Amino acid sequence: MTAATNLLSFAGLVVTLAIVWRQSWPGRLRLFAFQSLLLAALAATLGVLAGRPRLVLLGLVFVVVKVIVIPRVLRRIGSGVPVRPVAPGKSSGVVLLIAGVLVVVAYAVMLPVRTVTALPTGGAIPLAFAMALIGLFLCVTGRDALGHILGFLVFENGIFGLALLATYGLPGIVEAGVFLDVLIIVLIMEGVVGQVRREHESIDEPKLRELRG
Amino acid sequence: MTLVLLLAIPLGGAALLALTRGPRLGRLHGALAALTLGASLAVAVAVYRVGAVTALDGFLRADALSAWMVGLIGVVSALAALEAPRYVTPAGAARFYALFHLFVFTMLLAVTTDDVGFMWVAVEGTTLASVFLVNFERTRASLEASYKYLLICSVGIAVAFLGTVLVYFANIQLFGDEEYALRWTTLLRLAPDLAPRVVELAFVFLVVGYGTKAGLAPMHTWLPDAHSEAPAPVSALMSGVLLAVGVYAIVRFKPVVDLAAGPAFTERILLGLGLLSMAVAALFLWAPTNFKRMLAYSSVEHIGIACVGLGFGGPWGIAGALLHIANHALAKSTLFLLAGRIRAAYGSSDIAAVRGLLSALPRTGGAFLAAMVALMGLPPFGLFTSEVLIFGAGFGKGAILEATLGLLLLLVAFGGLLRSVQAMLYGPAAGPPPRLAPGSWPVVPVTLALLLLILTGVAWPPGLGDALAQLATIVGH
Repeated sequence: MTAATNLLSFAGLVVTLAIVWRQSWPGRLRLFAFQSLLLAALAATLGVLAGRPRLVLLGLVFVVVKVIVIPRVLRRIGSGVPVRPVAPGKSSGVVLLIAGVLVVVAYAVMLPVRTVTALPTGGAIPLAFAMALIGLFLCVTGRDALGHILGFLVFENGIFGLALLATYGLPGIVEAGVFLDVLIIVLIMEGVVGQVRREHESIDEPKLRELRG
Repeated sequence: MTLVLLLAIPLGGAALLALTRGPRLGRLHGALAALTLGASLAVAVAVYRVGAVTALDGFLRADALSAWMVGLIGVVSALAALEAPRYVTPAGAARFYALFHLFVFTMLLAVTTDDVGFMWVAVEGTTLASVFLVNFERTRASLEASYKYLLICSVGIAVAFLGTVLVYFANIQLFGDEEYALRWTTLLRLAPDLAPRVVELAFVFLVVGYGTKAGLAPMHTWLPDAHSEAPAPVSALMSGVLLAVGVYAIVRFKPVVDLAAGPAFTERILLGLGLLSMAVAALFLWAPTNFKRMLAYSSVEHIGIACVGLGFGGPWGIAGALLHIANHALAKSTLFLLAGRIRAAYGSSDIAAVRGLLSALPRTGGAFLAAMVALMGLPPFGLFTSEVLIFGAGFGKGAILEATLGLLLLLVAFGGLLRSVQAMLYGPAAGPPPRLAPGSWPVVPVTLALLLLILTGVAWPPGLGDALAQLATIVGH
C-alpha cells in the first residue's frame, strides 16, 4: 500500500513540476487533467487497499468533475487566447528551481504531521503538500487569468491529495460541498473572463475602425 | 425549529425571487427581509433565554456566539435591504434580490452549523453569492474588483480548508474515524488530547485563510476594491457582517487550539495580525481619494482592533472584541448606506468632489457626521466603550507595549479620518449643487442604528452584560 500511494503521489508531483515547466496552454491543460486522473487513481487505490468503498466513489466523482468537466470549461475559456509560443529569453529554470525549494519547504512544514501519523500513507503527505504549495505559487505568479485559475486548481488538487493521504478523505457532505464550490468558481471565472474579453473587444473595435478610416 | 426556519426563509426566498418578475419583486424582497430579521431575533432571544439550540440531529447548532452573529446579520441585512431598491435596475432586479438573500443565507449558515467542515463550505459560499453583487454595476472597475475578490478569497479560503483538513487529521489520529469528527462540539471535547504541534500548524493555515475573508492585513488587498465598487447595500453587508463572519470562523477554532496547545500561541498571532492591520489601515487612511475606499480601509482597521482584543484575551478582551465587531457592523453599514446616497447626489465618490456636505444636504450630512463620530470611537457611541474594554484588557494583562502601540495607531487613524471628513463636510461647495434622488430618507433605520450604538456606549440594555459574559465563556474556555 505504501509503495502504491508513494508512487502515485510522486507521479503527481512530477506532473506538477511539468506544469510549471510547460509554456503552452493546451499542454498545461492536458497535464492538469492527467494530474487529476492520478489523484482519482490515488483515491480508488486507497479505497480498495484500505477497504473503504466510499473512496472509490469519491475517485469516480473526481474523474467527472476534475478530469472531464473542469478541463472542458477551461478549454472553452482558453479558446479565445492564441497559443502562447515559448517566450524567447524566458526560461523555466528559475521557476523550476523555486518549485524545487518549495518541495523542501513542504517536507519541513509537514514534519509535525508526519511524526504523529501512523497511517501507511504518511510518507507521501509532504509530496501532496508540495503539490499544493507549487499550485499556490503558480496562482500568485500567474500572468493572466488562465494562469491564476490553473494554479488555483493545482493548489486545490494538492489539498485533496493531502486530505486523502492524511485522513482517507473528509466526511462525504464536506467533500460534496468542496466539489460544488470548485465547480462554481470555475464557472464564475468563465463568466468573468468572458466579460473581460467582451469589454476589450468593445473597446478595441472603434479603434480598429479608426485605423481603417 | 426556528433554526431551520431561519435558514429556510432566505434560501427559499432566493429561489422564489429568481423565478419572480415585475413589481412583485420589490414587495417579496421586503417581506423576506422582514421575516429574516424576525427569525434572527427569535433565534437570538431563544438562545440567550434557554441556552444552545440544535436542529437536524445537531448539524445545526446555535450557542451564544452563533446567536450574537445571527442577530447581527439579521439587523444589518434588514438595514441594507431597506436601501436596496434604490440601487436595482428593473432588468437586474430578480438577480440582485435573489443573490442578496442567497448571500444572507450563506452567512447565516456559516454561523449556525456545528460542522466546521460545512462552515468552510458556507464561507466559500458567501464569496460565490456576493461576487456578482460586487460586479452589479458592470463597470470596468467593478469587474476588476470582482475578479480580484473571487480569486484572492478563493485561494485564501482554500488555505483555510488545508487547516480544516489538519484539524480533522489531528482528531481522527487519536480517536479513530468518527462521523462527528468535524463537529465543533466534538472537537472541543477532544481538544485537550490533540497533538499540539499539528493543531498549531492548522491554526496558522486557518488564520491566513479565514483572515483573508475577514480582511486582516496582509491578506486584505481585495477588500478596498470590492467594498468600494459594490453597490452601497452590498458594501454595507460585506463590511458590516461578512468580515465578522471571517472573524467568527477564527474565533470558533481558537478555544480548540487553546485547549490543545495553550492560549499563548493563538493570542500572539492574533495580536500581531491585529496590530499590523491597524498599522496598514492607519497609513492608508491618511491618503484616501475615494470616500468608499476610506470606509473600506477603516474596516481593515476595526477588524484589526477586534483581533487585538482577542489577542489580549481574558473575559474583557474577548467581550470587548465581540462587542466591537457588533458596534462596527452598525456604524459601518450605516456609513456605507449614507455614502451611497452621497455618491448618488454628487455623482462621484471622490473626496475632492464632495464639499460643503453639511450645508448642502443637512440631514444626510448630519447623519454622516454622527456615524463618523461613532466610527472614530468617540463617546457616547459604542465603539468607544468596546475600545476601552479591549485596551483596558491589554493594560490589565501587562501588555503595556502592545496596548500603547495600539492606542497610537488608533490616534493616527483618527487623524486621517478626521482630515477627510472635515474636507467633505465643510468648505464652499464646488460645482453644481448636489441633488438627492426622491424617495424616503432612511431616517428610521439610520436613527435606529445610531440609537443602538448609543445604547451599547452609555447604557447597556438589560441582558447585554450577560450575553457578553456568555460569549467570553465560550471563546475563553
